[in-house]
Amino acid sequence: MLDFINVLAVADSGNPIKAIVRTFDVDGSLLFAQILNVCVVLFVLNKFAFGPILKMLEERRARIIAGEDKIKLIERQLADSVETTAAAISKANDEAVRMVTEAKQGAATFTEQKAQEAISSAQQILAKAEAAAKADRERLTAELKREFGRLVVATTSQVTGKLLTADDQKRINEDALAKVEG
Amino acid sequence: MRFVLSTSAFWLVGIISTFAGEEAAHEGLPLHAERIFDNLPITNSMVMSWVAALLVILFAKVATRQMAVIPSGIQNFAEWLVESLYNFLEGILGAHLVKRTFWFFGGVFIMILCSNWIGLFPGVGTIKWGDAPILRGGNADLNMTLALALVATVLWFYWAITENGVMGFLKHIFAPKGEFNGPMKLLMIAIFFMVGIIEVFSILLRPVALSFRLFGNVFAGENMLDIMMKLVNPKIAFLPALPFYFLELLVGLIQALVFMLLTAVFLQLICDHGDDHEEAH
Repeated sequence: MLDFINVLAVADSGNPIKAIVRTFDVDGSLLFAQILNVCVVLFVLNKFAFGPILKMLEERRARIIAGEDKIKLIERQLADSVETTAAAISKANDEAVRMVTEAKQGAATFTEQKAQEAISSAQQILAKAEAAAKADRERLTAELKREFGRLVVATTSQVTGKLLTADDQKRINEDALAKVEG
Repeated sequence: MRFVLSTSAFWLVGIISTFAGEEAAHEGLPLHAERIFDNLPITNSMVMSWVAALLVILFAKVATRQMAVIPSGIQNFAEWLVESLYNFLEGILGAHLVKRTFWFFGGVFIMILCSNWIGLFPGVGTIKWGDAPILRGGNADLNMTLALALVATVLWFYWAITENGVMGFLKHIFAPKGEFNGPMKLLMIAIFFMVGIIEVFSILLRPVALSFRLFGNVFAGENMLDIMMKLVNPKIAFLPALPFYFLELLVGLIQALVFMLLTAVFLQLICDHGDDHEEAH
């Protein structure tokens, strides 16, 4: 109570600041030393704690953002790749279908061509065979006619006992052949 | 002005007399820190604030010694602490201001918190050389809390002026807020000018309020623990004080938070250009 009265008395005398300063021992040198302490601690804390930690947090944040960007890029590339692959598969399918169709068409054409060639070849062979047979027949006919004529002439000569001239032989042959063929 | 000064003085004198009265009645801790040397400005309280500072710096050095992208152990804890504080302050100050000022607000919070909690270590304030305790809580010295408040005030002026410009700073305090025309405009200029003068007193009294609030809470806590231990037989002296240790842990945290929050809010108010800055005043 006495202290309270003393302090009030000091306050009433017009200088409460002095009472505060004296009571709490607020001193210029002590205050300056404490301000210096505060500044040093703040500086050291900023340099050794906040600086490196905030830098690391910022670096990590940047890495996360970069990672997210990379993931987006990869997702986009994957989507593009899927799309490209689907397009390539579709294109390959179309190409394959086209090639199969072309192959089928080619095969059909080739088959037709070969069949035609075979038919043509067979026809040629047949024509050749027919021609050969005709030629053989004609040759044999001619030989037969000649042999027949010689036999007729020989027979006529022996029967008549005279020597036949070339005109006689020709006439007799033609008569005999006309009768045979008649 | 005289009324404001005399009212403030009356309150301060009241606080002093209360402390002084308690000191006399219970023979508790002295109101001021004890000087260790006669010719050097070093007190028992200052030694404790050095210990707190050294511990904080040591922790910071150890936590940031081998920084890894994937944090673990003490680095993880330090990052959690700093990031939480940063995000908390960013919510108050905004992204731009917090980038400029985090070193101060974060530092002050950690420093005050560490100092408050170290002051609760057994032996601090209780082991005495004669009548004076050998060690005393860092913030149980008005020189320390006043130093913190003065540094905060100087930085507040610096940041307020660099953010607003000198004219912007003065307009922020004295100019009318809102759109007025005709006689109403003149009236508002006069009213806001007077409000500005009150605001100036409020700004000038902030260091006093900040320093006495922190000092008062910490000193009262230490005194209370001291008194509690003297209530019973010395063999069980710890028992009555034990619940109050938990209370003081909470008070230490709250006071660090209050100091940081108030200084941050004061800065945000003067740098705020938003629509709600009339309400802030």
